[in-house]
Amino acid sequence: MLSDYVRLLAAFTAPEALTMNPQSMLWMLPLAAAVAAVYKAIKMPTITARSFLKESFLLFASIVVFIIASAAVLWLVTYLAIE
Amino acid sequence: MRTIAERINHINHGLLLLVIAALGWAVPGAGYLFLGQTKRAVIVLVTIAVTFTIGIYAGSIGVIDPVTDGIGILGRLNPWYLAQILNSPLVFLIGKTTAAGAYPVYGKPQEIGQLYTSISGLLNLLCIINCVCLAHLGPSALKGGRNAQ
Repeated sequence: MLSDYVRLLAAFTAPEALTMNPQSMLWMLPLAAAVAAVYKAIKMPTITARSFLKESFLLFASIVVFIIASAAVLWLVTYLAIE
Repeated sequence: MRTIAERINHINHGLLLLVIAALGWAVPGAGYLFLGQTKRAVIVLVTIAVTFTIGIYAGSIGVIDPVTDGIGILGRLNPWYLAQILNSPLVFLIGKTTAAGAYPVYGKPQEIGQLYTSISGLLNLLCIINCVCLAHLGPSALKGGRNAQ
C-alpha cells in the first residue's frame, strides 16, 4: 500500500515523455475546458448542473473553434507567403 | 467627516476583504466557501487543482522553478513562478525543493507543465479578485453579465 503511494508521488518527480507532433496540440483541450469552467463558475449568477455544463461546453467549443480558425488563417498566410 | 464607528466599520470591511483574498489564495475556492457560495467553491477548487496536477504530472515538479539562468527585468526570478505562486502558498514549498535544480525538465514537458501550472494560478487570481468584488459589492456584482437573468 505504502509503495503504491510512493510510486504515485514519484510520478510527479520525473517528466512525461512528450514529443512534438500533431497530436500534442490536443494538450490545449483540458486547458480550454479549465478556462471555460472557471470563467462560467465566476460569471453565472445562479449555478445549476444543467445550465453550468451547457454554458461551459458552449464556451469551450467557442475557444476551440476560434483557435482552429486562427490556425487556419495563419496557415493560409504562411502558405500564400511561401507560394 | 467620518465618525469613529464608521471608521472602524470601514477598517473591518477592509480586513474582511483581505481575509477573503488570503483564503482564496490559501485554498482555491475557499473565499467562495466563506461567502456561502458552495457550488462555485467546489467548481473552482476541482478545476484549479486538476489543472495544476496535470501540469506537474506532465512536466514534473521541476516546472516550478523560482530561479532562471539568465538575468531579466525581475533579476533571477522566473516570471512563470510569479503566475504559479498564485495557485497556493504550498507552491513555495515545491519551489524550495526544486530551487537547487534537482529536478531538471526541458522541451515539451516543460512547456506543457509551465502552461498548465501558470494558467491555473492566473485562473485562481481571477477567482480571488471576483471573490473580493463579490464580498465588497454583494450579489449585485454577479448581475449585468451575459447570463444575468
